[in-house]
Amino acid sequence: MKFSFLFKNSSLRRIGLYLLVILISVYSFFPIYWMIISGTKAPTHLFSSPSLVPGPFTWEYYTMLFQVTYFPVQFMNSVIVALGTVGITMVTSVMIAYAVSRYRIRGKTLIIGVMLYAYMFPPLLLAIPLFSIFAKFGLADTLFSLVIAHTTITLPLGVWLLWGFFKAMPFELEEAAMVDGYTRLGAFLRVVLPLSLPGLITVAIFSFLLSWTDYTYSLIMIMSDAHKTVPVGLAGMVGSYELRWGEIMAGATLIALPLLIIFAFFSRYFIHGLTTGALKG
Amino acid sequence: MKSDWVINAFLVIGLLVTAVCIVLPLIHAIQLSFFQLESFVSEPKYIGLKNYSETFADSVFWWALLHGCIYAGGSIIFQVSLGIGIALVLSKSFKGQQIVRGLSLLPYLLPVVIVTLTFLWMMDGTLGIITIGLAKIGIRDVPWFETPFTAMAMVIFVSVWLWTPFVTTCFLAGLQTVPKALYDAAKVDGLGPWQTFWQVTIPVLKPILTIIILLRAIWMFNKFEVVWLLTQGGPVGATEHLPILAYRKAFLMFNVGGGAAVATISFMILSIAVFIYFKLSPIEEK
Repeated sequence: MKFSFLFKNSSLRRIGLYLLVILISVYSFFPIYWMIISGTKAPTHLFSSPSLVPGPFTWEYYTMLFQVTYFPVQFMNSVIVALGTVGITMVTSVMIAYAVSRYRIRGKTLIIGVMLYAYMFPPLLLAIPLFSIFAKFGLADTLFSLVIAHTTITLPLGVWLLWGFFKAMPFELEEAAMVDGYTRLGAFLRVVLPLSLPGLITVAIFSFLLSWTDYTYSLIMIMSDAHKTVPVGLAGMVGSYELRWGEIMAGATLIALPLLIIFAFFSRYFIHGLTTGALKG
Repeated sequence: MKSDWVINAFLVIGLLVTAVCIVLPLIHAIQLSFFQLESFVSEPKYIGLKNYSETFADSVFWWALLHGCIYAGGSIIFQVSLGIGIALVLSKSFKGQQIVRGLSLLPYLLPVVIVTLTFLWMMDGTLGIITIGLAKIGIRDVPWFETPFTAMAMVIFVSVWLWTPFVTTCFLAGLQTVPKALYDAAKVDGLGPWQTFWQVTIPVLKPILTIIILLRAIWMFNKFEVVWLLTQGGPVGATEHLPILAYRKAFLMFNVGGGAAVATISFMILSIAVFIYFKLSPIEEK
């Protein structure tokens, strides 16, 4: 910088900026840090004047969690429900989004509009009637009912995201492929789908995320401990055990783990999804 | 391009799934609100608009509506102002910018359940790390979730922590679209950073900001789990808003029709907001 009197001012500004940055990082990360630390801190220290630094280290909450509670079963339930939701969402939303983007009919924005509208529905608006329907068919308290319930949020999202992808793809693409001898289905499977891989990954990630983190639908659809998913199972521990915060924080860490891993590897898709309004929040 | 059987089949299958999963339950919800039934397996009895007249005559409903407005309003004000503030800081260049941006996004990706549980633990009356920390600087016996005012403040605080990153991300994306020439012009005119923000950044980003606030309003008005997990609507109903009222009626008070009526009323309010949303940001064909 040319003018030395300005330099002082701007270096003060740098310091101010870095202070704010540190403040933002601590604010955003401290609860996560404390969750991870609490799950590994020996009870003698966790429950009496805990220090902010990790340790003394223990696995006992994790072993308790796996041996005494339904956590392992519920973790598997969560995985099954999330994968089921991702599967149904992918297949159905690809079909709708592709058809709508290639159909020359009036009112196709209506379909997209309805999808976006449905994505904003209050959870209880659909949870009450869904439970009523499942109760009638004897399907209440099943993982299947939960997959369908989760699909009501993930399907509109998937259609919305993929529609954005497909409409940006020129029609000439399939036409050229069809001239080359592909059938319409072949052109779709071999040309369109591979090119929309980023969109498919985004939909898969967010469907997984929404299903994995859901509390409201699981609370309503599932009653028995053996069929609960981890978010509801873990929240239930707060009331039913005496001072089990170590185990609860250990469980919370395990629930967050898959998300942190996905986030670390696919943050690009996260940002893309977020800026197109992918998260209900 | 002519449409052929593949596209037709896709559309039919897709819309069928949509109809079964979304449209049918929606109709059933509205239908339930005209019936009296104690549980989900009991015989429904048609009672016309009685669930609605009972709901509107009940002061609990109006309190829930008011609490919902306070909760949503308070959350939105802090989410938006904090979100913009953080976005402005993160838009500057500094070492480790990508990492800090990632960190600031984290709260949004975490399941609501583990966030609320972690805050419950950190604010535990005797063992919570925040309670202990505050006691060290002389602030003792904070009644976190025990008084109506603090309970509402806590529910808003946790909601702000969770969803501020949404505003930050959208606003950061918006900031990149502001033409640099405008900032140069502001500099030439001798505007300070504060004036530049209010006279350049905000006017340019006003459309984005309106959409952000509207979306926040739609989500916050219908949030169930944060409030339920933190306070269950208590103490003495001080944080009970419409989603919790609907849940309690349908699943805990043996009044499924009443719960469906409350949910349908929320749906009507939501529809107005969604209508405004579509007016402001119409869906583009191409």
